[in-house]
Amino acid sequence: METLSLLLDGFAGALTLQNLFWVVLGCFLGTAVGVMPGLGSSMAVALLLPVTFALDPTAAFIMFSGVYFGGLFGDSTMGILMNTPGQASAIASTFEGHKMALTGRAPQALATAAIGAFIGGFVASVVVVFFAPFLAEFSTQFGPAEFFALALFAFVATSSVVTDSAVKGLLSLALGLGIAVVGIDSVTGIPRFTMNSPYLFDGISLVTVTVAVLALGEVIYFATTARFQSQGRMLKAQGRPWLSRKELREATPAWLRGTAIGLPFGVVPAGGAEIPTFLAFGAERRLDRRRRDPQFGKGAIRGLAAPEAAGNATTGMAMGALLALGLPISATAAIMLAAFRQYGLQPGPLLFERAPDLVWALLASFFIAMIVLLIINLPFAMVWAKLLLIPRPYLYAGITVFCGLGIYATSGSTFDLLMLLGVGLVGFLMRMHDYPLAPLIIGMVLGPLAETSLRDALISADGDASVLVSGPIVLVLYGVLVIVLLLTLRSKVTSRTRRDV
Amino acid sequence: MTSQVTGPAPASAPPPQEGPPAAQRSLLSELTMPLVLAAFATYLLVGMLSMSVPESVDFPGPRFFPAVVTAVIYALVIVEVLSILRRRSATPSRDGHPTTTRGSTAHTSPAVDDAAPSVDDAGYEFVGAYEPATPQFSWRSFAWVVGGFLVFALLLEFLGWIIGAAVLFWCVARGFGSTRPLFSLVVGLTVSSLAYIAFDMTLGLSLPSGLLGGGF
Repeated sequence: METLSLLLDGFAGALTLQNLFWVVLGCFLGTAVGVMPGLGSSMAVALLLPVTFALDPTAAFIMFSGVYFGGLFGDSTMGILMNTPGQASAIASTFEGHKMALTGRAPQALATAAIGAFIGGFVASVVVVFFAPFLAEFSTQFGPAEFFALALFAFVATSSVVTDSAVKGLLSLALGLGIAVVGIDSVTGIPRFTMNSPYLFDGISLVTVTVAVLALGEVIYFATTARFQSQGRMLKAQGRPWLSRKELREATPAWLRGTAIGLPFGVVPAGGAEIPTFLAFGAERRLDRRRRDPQFGKGAIRGLAAPEAAGNATTGMAMGALLALGLPISATAAIMLAAFRQYGLQPGPLLFERAPDLVWALLASFFIAMIVLLIINLPFAMVWAKLLLIPRPYLYAGITVFCGLGIYATSGSTFDLLMLLGVGLVGFLMRMHDYPLAPLIIGMVLGPLAETSLRDALISADGDASVLVSGPIVLVLYGVLVIVLLLTLRSKVTSRTRRDV
Repeated sequence: MTSQVTGPAPASAPPPQEGPPAAQRSLLSELTMPLVLAAFATYLLVGMLSMSVPESVDFPGPRFFPAVVTAVIYALVIVEVLSILRRRSATPSRDGHPTTTRGSTAHTSPAVDDAAPSVDDAGYEFVGAYEPATPQFSWRSFAWVVGGFLVFALLLEFLGWIIGAAVLFWCVARGFGSTRPLFSLVVGLTVSSLAYIAFDMTLGLSLPSGLLGGGF
């Protein structure tokens, strides 16, 4: 009951006119960015990160949550209409979703996706509200060894599980860890890798790296290479943008199953919503094969409903893991973690005690964001598709200007702009050669945590390495890590062989 | 949502921006990233060797973690380079591979399979992905975007935000193949002025006023 009253306080905080404005603005921005092919919510959050420092933290995070969920709602739109999923997590929905659109059921497909995303996100928000405080309390028992295990977990999972090439994933991670060690050592105060330049004493700013890699690198990549590739053609969606009773009956179990599959993945740092969406899609297909009249391959509504719900359920739960443990499971969550740090807040056990107003207003804003997103997406998906009319040169030129604006506004120095360009070029190279970018961001965010907890654990045990693998929590974490690795290996193999219906 | 940047899907699902087949890239191009990583690892190594650490610091000192990272980068770069070399010495005809799965999801869709060069609603040219045999890479675009940003970074404080950002906007639009220079300039100036009003005047971020200074 205490949770409920805290949540009500949160709603009181989130429902002020000003905060409502930020939620709605975030939802619009997120949807807009999600709808644009090639742009994802992580880019949107990265671009907004520097600018939001002009806002107070509550407003900033409320806006972030709108962007964060809005990206998910928006990205399936283009997957369905153009067969071009904006992000990896929208791929599973595209298979059946696009087939539905091809058979003239585009509006229903869009509605199925929007409602699925809503259900997944809403259930996840409810679970987070009741579950996160317990998780936070539990994590107060964590010591350096536990935090190191957690960070290691995130490193291994994000860099090897979701990527095609584990070597590239780990290289990207190591680059992130390497960038994070530049600057003054937090334990001893010795400057490291700074070439005695005062510009580097504070290290390379995470904001700069995020914007460089996720936005500027992407712009260069698109300008030089990607724009020469075909984009597909958009299908027109006409007709009733709602579902018949029969369709609702058909989709409801799939929405719920998808949500159930997606929820647990939000606390497992296995790289975000990609794996659960594929798992949900696979589960629906297996169920479908047993029916008298299998629908898969012909635009099965369930094949769209389940992954959409799973994706948003994972994303919602991921916010819980971020708030309660300080553990980001995806690049977007990592950027939000960085944003918390910029405000001097450390997500994790203590956040619920130190900044309850912020946490509960943020949690309440999840619900508001879900409802706003359902309203702006359900009937208006085709209106959003009109955003494609913005000429590409101006869209990307605008993004570039925004990169420069954000970095200059936060640092006020030419040096950071040059650093932005340099890191952006590295990000561009990585993009060119299929290096995943999320491990770099996660490595940079969690690198310092991993290093200090490793050193704290070892120093307090006089260099005895066995301290890292003692204690029940640590052993459970490593055990789960092994299980996750085995499971994803299996799902990789099976999804590879089963893809072609 | 969130895993947009987690790179390619686990299996070869239809990637929207699939790169050109790896086998067709030049060796030098494939080795750039390993070279950059090796250079970074060397920078860390030099930094570690020149770092002065007092005797009193306990065992896992400031050099321990970077040393692990550096060793990992070197080891993985070697693995990556070896795999690139092995792939190249194998038959170069692996370009059919990435497109097969793509076809399987799209071949029921005649509207989408039609990847002939087309002009979409935005009047922006798209060239079919299957058509060019050689990987497309436009050095001109690269020069416009990167050069434009370099000029912007170096001259921002002198030119001021409104002019500097408009120049950046114009260069990037140019790099993306915009054909109407004058119109781009107008749009660029509008965007930069609006950004100045919204972020400098309303939100209180500080942007340089430069040449136009004083007035604002």
